[in-house]
Amino acid sequence: MNSNNSRLRRSSIVGIFAATVFSLTAQAGTYDISVDKVIIDTGSSKKEGIGYNGASPGPVLRFKEGEDVTINVTNNLDEPTSIHWHGLILPFQQDGVPTISYDGIEPGETFTHNFPIVQSGTYWFHSHSGFQEPDGAYGAIVIEPKKREPFRYDREYVVQLTDKHPHDGARIMRNLKMMPDYYNRQQQTLGDFFDDAAKNGFDTTVNDRMAWGEMRMMPADVEDLQGFTPLINGKSSDQNWTGLFKPGERVRLRFINSSAMTYFDIRIPGLKMTVVNADGNNVQPVRVDEFRIAVAETFDVIVRPKEEKAYTIFAASMGRSAYGRATLAPKEGMTAEVPGLEKRPLLTMADMGMAHEGMEGMDHSNMKEMDHSNMAGMDHSNMKAEGKPDPFYAPGSGLAPKAANGGRFLSYADLKAQRPLYKHREATREIELRLTGNMERYIWSINGKKYEDDEEIRLKYGERVRFKFVNETMMTHPMHLHGMWSILDTGAKKWNPIKHTISVAPGTTVYTETEVDAPGQWAFHCHLSYHAASGMFRRVVVEGGPETSQLQMSQ
Amino acid sequence: MIRIKGFTKILAVSAFSISMAFTATQVQAGAGHSDGDGHGDKMGIGEPGKKSEVGRTIEIKMFDNYYEPEEISVKAGETVRFVIKNEGEFVHEFNIGTGAMHAAHQEEMMMMMEHGALEPDKINHSMMKMDMGNGKTMEHDDPNSVLLEPGKSDEVVWKFSKAAKLEFACNVPGHYESGMMGHVRFN
Repeated sequence: MNSNNSRLRRSSIVGIFAATVFSLTAQAGTYDISVDKVIIDTGSSKKEGIGYNGASPGPVLRFKEGEDVTINVTNNLDEPTSIHWHGLILPFQQDGVPTISYDGIEPGETFTHNFPIVQSGTYWFHSHSGFQEPDGAYGAIVIEPKKREPFRYDREYVVQLTDKHPHDGARIMRNLKMMPDYYNRQQQTLGDFFDDAAKNGFDTTVNDRMAWGEMRMMPADVEDLQGFTPLINGKSSDQNWTGLFKPGERVRLRFINSSAMTYFDIRIPGLKMTVVNADGNNVQPVRVDEFRIAVAETFDVIVRPKEEKAYTIFAASMGRSAYGRATLAPKEGMTAEVPGLEKRPLLTMADMGMAHEGMEGMDHSNMKEMDHSNMAGMDHSNMKAEGKPDPFYAPGSGLAPKAANGGRFLSYADLKAQRPLYKHREATREIELRLTGNMERYIWSINGKKYEDDEEIRLKYGERVRFKFVNETMMTHPMHLHGMWSILDTGAKKWNPIKHTISVAPGTTVYTETEVDAPGQWAFHCHLSYHAASGMFRRVVVEGGPETSQLQMSQ
Repeated sequence: MIRIKGFTKILAVSAFSISMAFTATQVQAGAGHSDGDGHGDKMGIGEPGKKSEVGRTIEIKMFDNYYEPEEISVKAGETVRFVIKNEGEFVHEFNIGTGAMHAAHQEEMMMMMEHGALEPDKINHSMMKMDMGNGKTMEHDDPNSVLLEPGKSDEVVWKFSKAAKLEFACNVPGHYESGMMGHVRFN
């Protein structure tokens, strides 16, 4: 293994003199990444895993919008590997997915990626082979924009989360197949039963348990993989990754969720966060107290700590079984109070999609229109505190997030593109994708079929396809389409946010639209590692290319 | 009375009398509303200037989401004419006041958005006139600020009576936190 490669080597192909003479030529940088066996030390465990350039997480790759990059990936493992550049728009052969983009990289081989950078923002990269990503093969990508950003900051940090498990990925998959609740430790116990019976009555409680039993799901199944240690930038809560600041500075935090299976709810007690970017694309700034980051998503926030004290970055897992913690401080060694974990959320019948049958819950038809003629004497102090229910969760859902400090929790409905990438137009076709699964046999699928049992999805270059995701399962699935943007329909029309990973909550239907402008074939899958491996995956084939159609794209 | 471009015609008399009658509550709210022409520098931020006393003109360009220039220097007692142009694609404000006034005004502008009076790239002028129930409206007719749709221009003539800790800022939700504010330095 090349120990020289522990630092990322960057050599510029265009020399200094040439750069002055040919100042209008696009930049070109060469980057070398080795894929290595590494030891991952979380403080509570030291296990062998996989890393890049000798470490996990791997390096932060820093590109410039407009640059032509050359990335040499050398495989030092004794099994094939690959690297997928998550969220990057590039020729399909560069996308890094074995059997779809290329054949992967054999042990000892070096594969050279070469593509132009056509975007800016925060992204990440990871292996698309086996379970190497959960085993540690992930890193970050930061792309500087050509033009000035619509926000100012004095310093920035990548804050990359993962859910490190003591078992390696292959072992976890075997265990889940054998016994799907193997890792779901937060079962409802007999003690819970008697508590509920005392509160709700014996018959009600028995019926409740039986109803859940019939569905083969347990209400505590928010996370089907527990027992992990959340890491932030590779460090556990005790190891406490710390980012320094000078009081009064604006700090940009680039949050990346590189977990295999875990969603995190992020807050910084004492600091409000202004969300300015989601999945690499700028959004109209929105100030929140807390936000949920799905697996594979990114969110950039601006914070402005004014006091000479430390602040805790607190990442509670969505199922509240564990938390990650990092610190923002004026000096190394300073720490702030770490909150405790709240009660775990339990799924409700609403998450089963039964909410439509006359359930109590918010009546959305009333929420939109407000009677303006009657506004005199309206008490505004109440309006803010209540907030609106998040339309991306089933009414009455047990998963709907609430800010721990009673403040504002970010919803998908709050995300509006700062600058639309495409002209807003009607979709030319709708494709329905039912997210399906069977927890008892740990099979996850789309439209009831696993990857190997179904056909590919065929799209035509130049069309605008509308995807309808119907979640018939009790789990939240982060759906990721490679190579093309997913415009999430939040009702904001031309301001609909542009994302690459779309989280679909239980019992909900979510729509996205994609301008099909990338020829070739692309992966499309749930980004929960063990779901994708169990069949929740499809190949998307784009027929035709620029010569065969007229496509209007607004810049 | 500053005319704001794009507004439908307001009966100046009735608007003026409402603002006079509720002067006390406006001052208490401390939300960037000065208390009318010719009443002096009651809040320590200066006062509306007279065109005849203008010493110089400063051009302010508003973009998404920042100002050019990002800082200005003035002398105590000076009267400056600001010519403000919105070169961005979103609605922006230019508002002279203290940090605390801006914070309070941000809450008000958040309410304007929630009520539909303000959209990211549009001002709904008819909704701005809506009475909030306590005599206040959401109209931006204060001499120390302008709220502009994309492409529009307007002016603020301001007398910086005495040195103070002032900022010019945009209080459209999210913009201040994104950095759309600048310091007023006194020489």
